[in-house]
Amino acid sequence: MCGIVGYVGARQATAILIDGLKRLEYRGYDSAGLAMLIDNGISVYKTEGKIASLEAILPDIKSTCGIGHTRWATQGAPTTINAHPHVSGNIAVVHNGIIENYEELYEWLKKEGYEFVSETDTEVLAHLVHKYYKGDLVSAVIEGLKKVKGSYAAAFLCAETNKLVAARKESPLVAGVGNGENFIASDVTALLKNTRNVIYMNDLELVQVTAEGMQFFDFDGKPVEKKIELIEWNIEAAEKSGYPHFMLKEIHEQVTSVHDTLLGRISEISGDVILQDITLTVEDIRKLERIVIIACGTSYNAGLLGKYLFESLTGIHTDVDISSEFRYANPVLSESTLVIAISQSGETADTIAALKEAKTYGCHTLAITNVVGTTLSREVENILYTRAGPEIGVAATKTFTSQLIALYLLSIYFARKRKKMDVDISKRLIISMKLLPGMIQQILNNKEFIKKQAQRFSNARDYFFLGRSLNFPIALEGALKLKEISYIHAEGYAAGELKHGPLALISNETPVVALATRSSTYDKMVNNIKEVKARRAQVIAIAGMDDSEIGKYVDVVIKVPTTDEMLYPVLSSIVVQLLAYYSADALGCPIDKPRNLAKSVTVE
Amino acid sequence: MRTWILLIVFIASFFQSLVLKCIGIVIVPRNMKAVILAAGEGLRCRPLTLTRSKVMLPVANKPILEYVIMALSKNEIKDIILVVGYKKERIMDHFGNGNDFGVKISYIDQDAQLGTAHAIKMAEPLVGEKFMVLNGDNLIDEETISDLLRGESGDISLLSVSRDQITGYGVLLIEKGKVTQIFEKPRDRISHLVNTGIYIFSSSIFNEIEKTPISEIGEYAITDTIQKMIEKGASVTNITTRRTWIDAVHSWDLLKANSVLLGKIEDMKVSGSIEKGAVIIGDVAIGDNSVVRSGSYIVGPVIIGKNCNIGPNTTILPSTALGDNCSISSFTEIENSIIMNDTRIGTGSYVSNSIIGSHNIIGPHFVSEVGKDLNIEMKGILHHADELGSVVGDNNIIGHAVLVRAGNTISTGCRVDSGVKILKSIPRDSIVL
Repeated sequence: MCGIVGYVGARQATAILIDGLKRLEYRGYDSAGLAMLIDNGISVYKTEGKIASLEAILPDIKSTCGIGHTRWATQGAPTTINAHPHVSGNIAVVHNGIIENYEELYEWLKKEGYEFVSETDTEVLAHLVHKYYKGDLVSAVIEGLKKVKGSYAAAFLCAETNKLVAARKESPLVAGVGNGENFIASDVTALLKNTRNVIYMNDLELVQVTAEGMQFFDFDGKPVEKKIELIEWNIEAAEKSGYPHFMLKEIHEQVTSVHDTLLGRISEISGDVILQDITLTVEDIRKLERIVIIACGTSYNAGLLGKYLFESLTGIHTDVDISSEFRYANPVLSESTLVIAISQSGETADTIAALKEAKTYGCHTLAITNVVGTTLSREVENILYTRAGPEIGVAATKTFTSQLIALYLLSIYFARKRKKMDVDISKRLIISMKLLPGMIQQILNNKEFIKKQAQRFSNARDYFFLGRSLNFPIALEGALKLKEISYIHAEGYAAGELKHGPLALISNETPVVALATRSSTYDKMVNNIKEVKARRAQVIAIAGMDDSEIGKYVDVVIKVPTTDEMLYPVLSSIVVQLLAYYSADALGCPIDKPRNLAKSVTVE
Repeated sequence: MRTWILLIVFIASFFQSLVLKCIGIVIVPRNMKAVILAAGEGLRCRPLTLTRSKVMLPVANKPILEYVIMALSKNEIKDIILVVGYKKERIMDHFGNGNDFGVKISYIDQDAQLGTAHAIKMAEPLVGEKFMVLNGDNLIDEETISDLLRGESGDISLLSVSRDQITGYGVLLIEKGKVTQIFEKPRDRISHLVNTGIYIFSSSIFNEIEKTPISEIGEYAITDTIQKMIEKGASVTNITTRRTWIDAVHSWDLLKANSVLLGKIEDMKVSGSIEKGAVIIGDVAIGDNSVVRSGSYIVGPVIIGKNCNIGPNTTILPSTALGDNCSISSFTEIENSIIMNDTRIGTGSYVSNSIIGSHNIIGPHFVSEVGKDLNIEMKGILHHADELGSVVGDNNIIGHAVLVRAGNTISTGCRVDSGVKILKSIPRDSIVL
């Protein structure tokens, strides 16, 4: 989601605009830019990457009127050229939304002699307004936008007048009323530092902003009366939308984020996975002899599931390595190797360095990431975006399940291209994947039960998570989540490894979470449960709804809806996340900002 | 001299507001906030409300509460306080902080269901001198709210509608535009005026709420508070509206509301794809990434959500709303129904005048029989439905060739085996063999 800010007043505009943009960071972005009104025109500064990179290139500009933008790429790659503002003669524009009749307007404006420099749909807005500008910016914007189909919140600057004009349709836009200065922004959060008096704009309204005041109009140019509202709320509470923590909000968002990761990428009628961003040819995919997955933390756990999927579905030998280990381990790589880097932020320093290292061997590269236009995405040949939306809680939740979905998609895609998977099987898997969001909702409907279990065991000193084959990565993830936010010592183990050490630590005070959903190793898992039960551990099993046996061997069963064996890890993830969340909550831990941890680790 | 000027300004503004009111322009008092009561379950809409509250039941693919919020927003009331309780996460997940809907939403948690007066009292720290109160589970539109704002005066303003059927409602007696008495669910037809539960209060109401005694059913009712205030001489203005106010008492009332609203949507848009050989007649909206396959026949008004798979050779007839991520197989016919997200209906099925919740997997040859003048029993009480097929909750797995007799419901989390005839309603988590 792009972010917009604008300022007209007496103070220096750059600092105000940059501050506003930083407050819109949570919307996610891949490039940023500013347009400032100066004595003899408009000067524009923009760059791909972080707002900090924009600040680095900004000279000391004397200007009291300007617009700013953070871009989350939709049409056109996240490059400096495509970053907003876009300029046409004396007009500059920033825009959040999608122009649906872009092609048509592009062709027409081209015929009219306009030259396009970027690949964005936004550039047509600049040319349109320039075309209609005859000394009055308001009427030019009205005329221009009347031609546009689609959604927009857009702000325009004209070199000839000390004001800005902004308009809205189906994208958020608010105006802020100051004393001798006025503001516009995508979201109130960007305004609150400067003013608490805001005016919400409606669809098909536009505003002319000067230092002295604001005039609102409809698209017939008629003035519209607006009322000023006083914002009395706390910003962070507002962003949490009623939830006590971002983490719980994000756990709940998995119903939609899993949906979004799948959106438009599967065809249940043909059993095909469609990954348009993958540039590897069928030939490349068939020639692959090895996959190496590099990642850190939660992404590493997702990678472990990837190993299982690639090996069992595509028959490609797969290794998973921790990025910081891979780099210094003299990796053995060749041109028939595909290196997959998994990183939520796309800025994980170790993963980027490891990937650069791998590239020197001439391997194919692919990134699974959540943020568009990051350092990682510029380093790789192929990108698979997880589309989970911005994640604010430090403990990864929805981005983890989206990474898992991305790995399912990729492994089915490879398996089909390598003719290793029948249509029937891929159809069955695809239909089951489509049903996952509804199943996640079902787990959330029963979260009170999980909460009770978490509270019951929240005083434990140690926790163990056990799993076999594709449940093993979820055992690791469950332990990681619990450690991160509740500070309870937790370990994830491959259940078969129990006898080789950890069994010595189990006592009647140790809760053991057994991931016991149906799989080829189910019977073996039941045996492991009996082993820990014999040491009087408290066993919490996560099992399928159709499993009526498991209750005999354990203390508590947390049931998840019945799905395909291969897809249980997605559902079990939700359970372990809720377990960790409610344990930390019972202990009063600062869930969204655990001690010593950062959301994205950009240092090695 | 100074007093003179002030006085003139005062008189001018008085006349201005008078004039504006006469020509029908609505002036919203600065910073008026709205409190929407959305904490209840909606027992009579079970099984649909077992997994979400009534305010989240979809009509034309939008939850009822969204219509309420849009009606406020269009009247420039953008600061909204949602009193939530039962299944509040579903509400919070949909509306977030209100940004996507052009409003600002604050949430108040009413854990204990202690009635409307208690809910309103909880909003006290967040509202100003004058504020509006509404129910989140009644469908209204922009004009409904404008009517109230136009007529607003006195200590309390109350919006009413005129109805033939008054059973189950609060009924008003009025005199010269002022409410003289509110009768809760009277047996006799003392008046046609039904209380919509939409009010404008001033903050003086909070003192009175504190003095309101608890009712026989263990709740603090705001109507009791208002009645007390009337007795003490407060001026309660009645405004009767002819605009939209639909109270879906039972789940099947949603079908009527759905067809009314589908008929009103102006900008039906096709964003998904329609294969060659599919026929689309009338107003049909198709969401992103949805595919209508060849040989399908769709007659509007019909709304289809995102990411759906329709057909080949599927028939969808008027007044049907199909949610996101649904899959309807070939040779199935759907008519005048609401199908919620993530539901799959197998080949050769017939669904008519029915409501099917989300995430159901329905096998081939499913038939919902339609009956007229049905008496439906819920918790020992008979309820009447003019015309109904069946109501299905969430998360059910239904086998092949299942027939549901008219007026029966399948709750939530059930598994129905193939070849079963459902002759009575199925309780939650049942396995039907």
